[in-house]
Amino acid sequence: MAKKMLEVRQLTTKYITRQREDVYSVDHVSLDIEEGKSLGIAGESGCGKSTLALSLMGYYFPPLHYTSGDIIIDGKNISGLDPDVVRKTVLGSEIAYIPQAAMNALNPTRKIGRFIEDVIRAHELPMDKKQIREMAEQRFALLGLPVDVLDKYSVELSGGMRQRVVIAVSTILNPKVLIADEPSSALDVSSQKMVIKMMKDMMAQGLVKSMIFITHELPLLYNVTDDIMVMYAGQIVERGSAKEMVFDPIHPYSRGLMNSILVPEEGTRDVKLTAIPGTPPNLKHPPSGCRFAERCRYATAACRFNPAAIIDFDIGRQYRCNMSVEKLREVYESEERNS
Amino acid sequence: MTKGMKKYFKKKIIWFLITFVAALILNFILPRLMPGDPVNAIVGKSISSGAPPEQVQQQMEFYRRQFGLDKSLPGQFLDFIKNAFNGTFGVSYSQYPRKVSDIIGGGIWWTIALQLPAILVGWILGNVLGAVAAYKRGFWDKVLMPVSLFFSAIPAFGAAVILLVIFSVNLGIAPANGAYDPGMIPNFSWSFISSVIWHYQLPFWSIVLISIGGQAVGMRSMSIYELNADYVKYSRFLGIKDTKIVRYVFRNAMLPQVTGLAMSIGSMVGGALVAETIFSYPGLGMAMYSAITQSDYPVISATTLIITIMVLLASFMLDIIYAFIDPRVKAAQFD
Repeated sequence: MAKKMLEVRQLTTKYITRQREDVYSVDHVSLDIEEGKSLGIAGESGCGKSTLALSLMGYYFPPLHYTSGDIIIDGKNISGLDPDVVRKTVLGSEIAYIPQAAMNALNPTRKIGRFIEDVIRAHELPMDKKQIREMAEQRFALLGLPVDVLDKYSVELSGGMRQRVVIAVSTILNPKVLIADEPSSALDVSSQKMVIKMMKDMMAQGLVKSMIFITHELPLLYNVTDDIMVMYAGQIVERGSAKEMVFDPIHPYSRGLMNSILVPEEGTRDVKLTAIPGTPPNLKHPPSGCRFAERCRYATAACRFNPAAIIDFDIGRQYRCNMSVEKLREVYESEERNS
Repeated sequence: MTKGMKKYFKKKIIWFLITFVAALILNFILPRLMPGDPVNAIVGKSISSGAPPEQVQQQMEFYRRQFGLDKSLPGQFLDFIKNAFNGTFGVSYSQYPRKVSDIIGGGIWWTIALQLPAILVGWILGNVLGAVAAYKRGFWDKVLMPVSLFFSAIPAFGAAVILLVIFSVNLGIAPANGAYDPGMIPNFSWSFISSVIWHYQLPFWSIVLISIGGQAVGMRSMSIYELNADYVKYSRFLGIKDTKIVRYVFRNAMLPQVTGLAMSIGSMVGGALVAETIFSYPGLGMAMYSAITQSDYPVISATTLIITIMVLLASFMLDIIYAFIDPRVKAAQFD
């Protein structure tokens, strides 16, 4: 079995609002990624996927707070470590982050090269100015970025270039886990393609040992990641390989999500798109039963009271529903026959 | 210097010249639109009340010719320009035959010595307070910010009068007026300098006190905005130390504040008027005030011209400074 790069056990984090209310946006999430693999996390906006990305870093600042659970990176548990130790020895070097709004992620008044210097210095690596510069130049050249970008400010770069610079800076210390939070959502299609290619190349070259890719664009995940996980209301509702998740989703929510988008494959032409009715629950007061019951067309009265647990039902596959897999398959088949 | 920069500065300079000419004309015309005849006032003072009308008439004719007021308005304007360019600014009416350049030369150093430190201290204290209030919150934000805002809401003359009443009239620990003891002759002796420092306190703090709040409010909201900027979160997740990130934040938040500083330095002379008048401080503001009350056109025109030039220079300097300290401005201006 391949080495596990990231193992997360029952991670729970919460936001404390201005009114001093607790909002559990990441609720007992467990996941793992093996070396060389990538995991996609999908869900509609507000489902907690960006919060999960922040929580995985193991470094919390208000309004986000750690509650319980473990984050184990390459066998080392970073939960419960002193924040300053996490900052110095984990952030950027073990686990790295690419923000959602990478367009504005760079300090507008600092040259890219100087910023990289700050990053290296923060980890107290034994390198002088010249060595850092050489290393940055080598890395930029390797990733196909023009070296003169190092002497520029972020405002002097195009959106696509800024995004690629952010990716290069995030991965400069060869992190074991890279967490990318919608890194391409603000870009045009050709820049998107470039960014995706860059991330795939970095995985292939071993600059990054594993990757979590968060997006609401499912077709993108199908092409980029090995596995896909679907989140709903702060919880994982299903996980499987990319192919299984797109062509054989089990959870009613994942199924609804897949039916609401187009995956460019054969036979797509005849697929009818359907939307999921309703809106996600307010996590200030989460439902006591299954969180999806309110919007689920198969929900029974009992679903509103019985919380659903996450269950392994096949190799590498998990789902969270009160109905059995067989029962769900049966229901889906009869639906298809009738339509 | 790039091509874009050259073009930008050429355009700027042309605009400044146009503004300067317009200001020159206004500085000449506006004082002359004030009610009252300057010569009347002077003659009224210098001649005893029982003098025969012919003598009064003669005196008035004399002064009119001396001041060039017998000429047409365009003729007077030419005189004004000529005097402006030879640096004397003509002769003062109220302190005849003193040259205007003499009056200004005597006052401007007092004004600069009073205003420049006061503006700088007020600006620095205000920015520090605003930044700390944004970063630490709590006591700084809930108590010191409102207090400083309360002070900046007091009009300039109000603050000066309050300080005057408390420290000079009631407590008697600070002198009420002047820049040094009346009996002294300016020199570099220790007793003179200590007298200057002593007289300096009330006007200085009256200016500092009311300028802190305004600066702090701007700095506080800019700092809060910058603290929530995406680059802060990103830098944190790269493992950069909080102390370093705070430096990023405050450097960026300071940038708009530089405008406020340059503008207060530019409008220093006008800003000095209130404090100098109340404390009878022998600066340019005081000279301007007494010139206005006596319709002393050359002094008014000269002091307002100084204000114009200083504001223009300050805003020109700002453009240059910003090009160096803020790459965003540079990118926007010179492309």
